[in-house]
Amino acid sequence: MEKLPYEKPYIKKLHGGVMNKFGGRSGVQPVKSIDGVLVRTLIENYGSPVFVLSEKQIRKNYRSAYRAFSTRYPKVQFAWSYKTNYLKAVCQIFHQEGSWAEVVSGFEYQKAIGNGIPGNKIIFNGPGKSNDELKTAIENDSLIHIDHFEELNQLLALSEELANKPRVAIRVNMDTGVYPLWDRFGFNYENGEAWTALSKVVDSGKLQLVGLHCHIGTYMLTTDAYGIAANKLCALAFNCQTQLNHKIDYIDMGGGFPSTNTLKGAYLPGQDTVPSVDDFAEVITSTLLNFGFANEDLPTLILESGRVLIDDAGYLLGSVIANKRLSAGKKALIVDFGVNILFTSFWYEHQVSPAQDFMPHTENMAIYGPLCMNIDVIRESINLPLLNPGDHVVVHKVGAYNMTQWMQFITLRPAVVLIDEQQRTHLIRSNETLAYIEEQELVPTHLKNTK
Amino acid sequence: MKHILAFIKSIINSYSVLFFSQNRVLGIILLLVSFFNPISGVAGLACVIISLLVCRALKFHGDDLQMGIYSFNSLLLGIAFGAFYHLNLMFVVWLLTTCVMVTFAAVIISKRLAKSGLPMLSLPFILIFWMVLLAANSIFNTGLQQKSNYLLAEIYTGTGNLAGVEASLALTLPQLISLFFRSLSAVLFLHSIIAGILISVGMFIHSRIAFSLLVISFTASCFLNSITHTYPEGISYYHLGANLMMASVAIGSFFTIPSLRSYLLAVLSIPLGFIMINAFTSFMSVHALPIFSLPFCVVNIGLLYLLLLRKLPGRLQLVPVQHYSPERNLYQFLNHQQRLNDLKYVRLHLPFMGFWTVSQGYNGSITHKDDWAQALDFVITDDEQNTYQYPGILPEHFYCFNKPVLACADGVVEVVVSHIEDNAIGKQNLKENWGNTVVIKHADGLYSKVSHLKKNSIKVKIGEVVKAGHQLGLCGNSGRSPEPHLHFQLQATPYIGSKTLSYPFASYFNKHNGKTQLDAYAIPSEGSLISNAEVNLPLKKAFDFQPGYIVKLKDNNGKTECWEVFKDALAQSYIYCKETSSAAYFINNGSLFYFTSFYGDRQSLLYKFYIAAYKVIFNDTEDLGGSDNFPLQLTNNKGLLWLQDVIAPFYRFINISYQGNVTTQKNSLNITAKQFIVIGDKKTQMAETSIAIDYGNLQSFTININGEHTEVQWNIEK
Repeated sequence: MEKLPYEKPYIKKLHGGVMNKFGGRSGVQPVKSIDGVLVRTLIENYGSPVFVLSEKQIRKNYRSAYRAFSTRYPKVQFAWSYKTNYLKAVCQIFHQEGSWAEVVSGFEYQKAIGNGIPGNKIIFNGPGKSNDELKTAIENDSLIHIDHFEELNQLLALSEELANKPRVAIRVNMDTGVYPLWDRFGFNYENGEAWTALSKVVDSGKLQLVGLHCHIGTYMLTTDAYGIAANKLCALAFNCQTQLNHKIDYIDMGGGFPSTNTLKGAYLPGQDTVPSVDDFAEVITSTLLNFGFANEDLPTLILESGRVLIDDAGYLLGSVIANKRLSAGKKALIVDFGVNILFTSFWYEHQVSPAQDFMPHTENMAIYGPLCMNIDVIRESINLPLLNPGDHVVVHKVGAYNMTQWMQFITLRPAVVLIDEQQRTHLIRSNETLAYIEEQELVPTHLKNTK
Repeated sequence: MKHILAFIKSIINSYSVLFFSQNRVLGIILLLVSFFNPISGVAGLACVIISLLVCRALKFHGDDLQMGIYSFNSLLLGIAFGAFYHLNLMFVVWLLTTCVMVTFAAVIISKRLAKSGLPMLSLPFILIFWMVLLAANSIFNTGLQQKSNYLLAEIYTGTGNLAGVEASLALTLPQLISLFFRSLSAVLFLHSIIAGILISVGMFIHSRIAFSLLVISFTASCFLNSITHTYPEGISYYHLGANLMMASVAIGSFFTIPSLRSYLLAVLSIPLGFIMINAFTSFMSVHALPIFSLPFCVVNIGLLYLLLLRKLPGRLQLVPVQHYSPERNLYQFLNHQQRLNDLKYVRLHLPFMGFWTVSQGYNGSITHKDDWAQALDFVITDDEQNTYQYPGILPEHFYCFNKPVLACADGVVEVVVSHIEDNAIGKQNLKENWGNTVVIKHADGLYSKVSHLKKNSIKVKIGEVVKAGHQLGLCGNSGRSPEPHLHFQLQATPYIGSKTLSYPFASYFNKHNGKTQLDAYAIPSEGSLISNAEVNLPLKKAFDFQPGYIVKLKDNNGKTECWEVFKDALAQSYIYCKETSSAAYFINNGSLFYFTSFYGDRQSLLYKFYIAAYKVIFNDTEDLGGSDNFPLQLTNNKGLLWLQDVIAPFYRFINISYQGNVTTQKNSLNITAKQFIVIGDKKTQMAETSIAIDYGNLQSFTININGEHTEVQWNIEK
């Protein structure tokens, strides 16, 4: 018989409940490997904590999302939302699959160019674009999504100097029945600002209006909102065609599709409540198809999904540092990764699984990170079996935003590893070193260590 | 200046067209050779000029005049006049008169016969010259002094000047060879070995195929006569040349596409010629008239008419577009047979959006059998080849369920059934086995049918006109369908349950091992993953040449050309270059642009563009290819090509391939292409080209060909 893992003695209050066929098991399963690669091996080779991405899952997500749209609508284009995860290797997977790039800053724009994406396949979004950044984008024939009138005027001024006619789209915000309204980006639909901006672009003759863009929110839990948004954008495009005699090439529905993570405060797990990409595709495409465009005038449908394509392909592996008992008697677990690298723990109740076999007893506990800061809480409350220092844990669905919003704070940021389709591991970002962090620092002469 | 050049060209063409050619070298040789009998030569040339002028005055313009179709009979008349009559005043008077008559007759007869698709050959000459002979021999005085009343006796006496060389040639050359050359010269009413040699050289330069037929028919005729002894003293030069050999060349290489079958037909024409020569001779001898090339005309027109009456062309093909060169006819024909499917089929699109998998192909093992064998079943699969999402117990779990089903081509809705219930997974409805179905009529005898649609999802009504890509309904699970799938078939009759018809899709993407290729006019096989070809709009717009499109181009050497797009009488579009009178025909079918043929100056920029943009797929997926083959006459290795020409009707060892690729640059699209000459396994690059497109407009193209680099800039006027 295999030797049972050591388990610390514990005292647990017995709750006399009705017997059920599932017994007393919590449902927590050990996750010993990711895509066939052992968690232990990964930590041994790349350290703890470490982010792991599954190329197979990324491609699968992309393909099934693309299939959902492309089998319902004739012209579909995805653009990878760089801010979700702009590690080069990740971007290249999406570009290999056919995605364009969607960027929201000069920095991201340069990253896309560096990834070899031709200018005309880069969508340049966002409320803050400098003159120089816009100039580069115009010269590269990129698609510039205008956010406000200042930017529109800026572009009109720039178009005087440059040979290329900038290709632009108008970002539109609107009431889709979901609150809060995201009215801080773009031009409002209901008060007519969007139409004013649109006519201004067309009338100027200096800009080429190619698209309409909206991004109605994030982590949208209703498909209806997309139907309303698509309808409003179609109405704008249709009016533009009939009143201004200008055909719109594409409608960009943005992103905002939820992953299956559970939001904080949600009553049911995300897995059971969020609509699938198919549900969103059905609503969006049927709105577009039935709006009344002639078949050859149907605008191309662009989607900028980020989260839903990568969240469940990312894992964070870490180790237990210590167990604690809080003043009220609640158990607490200290792990070696904090909120500085797992930013999404502010939003989600991340699923955390032990990476080795355990005894069936579970206890409610809090999981804290290693930072010496009160905010460093990974989970306020989770039922987990008892873990010993040195045991490994796997945090699920961390592929989106963490590897871009993480910060170097108190600790260094860990390595990121990609498991390819042949189950080979590749280091795609090495762990930070002290030298890397201090590289940018300068010390005035009078403060130099003179000893 | 241009007019004078064109006029001189049409004179030379009148000579070369005698031997079914437009080759200038052959034309000039014939012109020279005709002066072996100076009076004939002058009379012939004068007749050509007169009839060209007469036609011009009467406004019979056009290609026929330029190619010498109306004037070559006059040429024959002039030559014959010189051969038959002594020069005097009346000779000139009657020559002028009958020359005009022949011209008129040529116009009338050619137009009349052209309605039946037949050539007039030398019929006008024969008829008019009979009149001349009859008139000269009548009781009235025409003032014509006949050299002899029997043509051949005259010809045999030969000419004076070249007697020395001629005589020595006659002595040194073997009998049969001198017979060959003399027979050839007899076509121009000469009987000279030197003339024959010159004509042979001209014929060889014009066409290796035609020349080989001359030799074959000559051998066959002599062989046939040696067996039958029809002509105990040998076949006369004139009949051998003008009737037997020319008939073989015409039917074997000019009116038909050269092939083994056409060669057999050419040999067959020889015994036919024997019979006709004998029959017509005895018939016409009553009136003391020579039969000239009447057997040649009758044999050719007769055989040609017979071939035209066939319902299906079979493997002995008539020349669809006459290029006045057997080689060109052959190469162009083979090339078009490979490439011109757009003119053969109705363009069918796939009846769905995105990538679907063929779950059962033609002659499938499940239900595509017997009369219903040529049908396709489609489903959507994921990377694991599953057609459904876990758990797959409801139709909704299947990827294809509820997906739009589209019209495959323009048409009218004939039948709609939409009331049949969708089955539960695993159940079949054998009673209404086709399920919910739409049948669309695309053309007479061409209907498409989609079946197993979702109940009440069909949006079209009977009698409604639909366009390709129009949504018909949603994929469902009705009828004989245990799991959701789409059944698609073509049929000749409008009924549900009609038997199927094999018919290809115009173009679609076929994804195999992660690589996408474009299949054109093909039927997808079972298991293939296919989707409609996506179209890159800027690329499509750049090649949208409508009639009236005018452009000026300038290359790096300062050479300029002006192109305009026209449509000809058969609705075929072409780009015409005014400076060089060159034309490049093209087809743009909405998903690709390709050139079909080029006529004119190979130094022109238009030719270079023809090479560069031979085939452009409107899609910017890299490595999609765009491979194609050029017609063989574009080979720049003349010697090798001539070797190929000789055996071309039977076997081709040269291939000229085109390999195009679209690459996306910083802010433009580039179509790069390489052109190779492939001989066996050896591949040599012939040219390398690149076309730049910006904002849906052609900007420039570069070409490296024959070690010369050319850069051409676009400058659109309208």
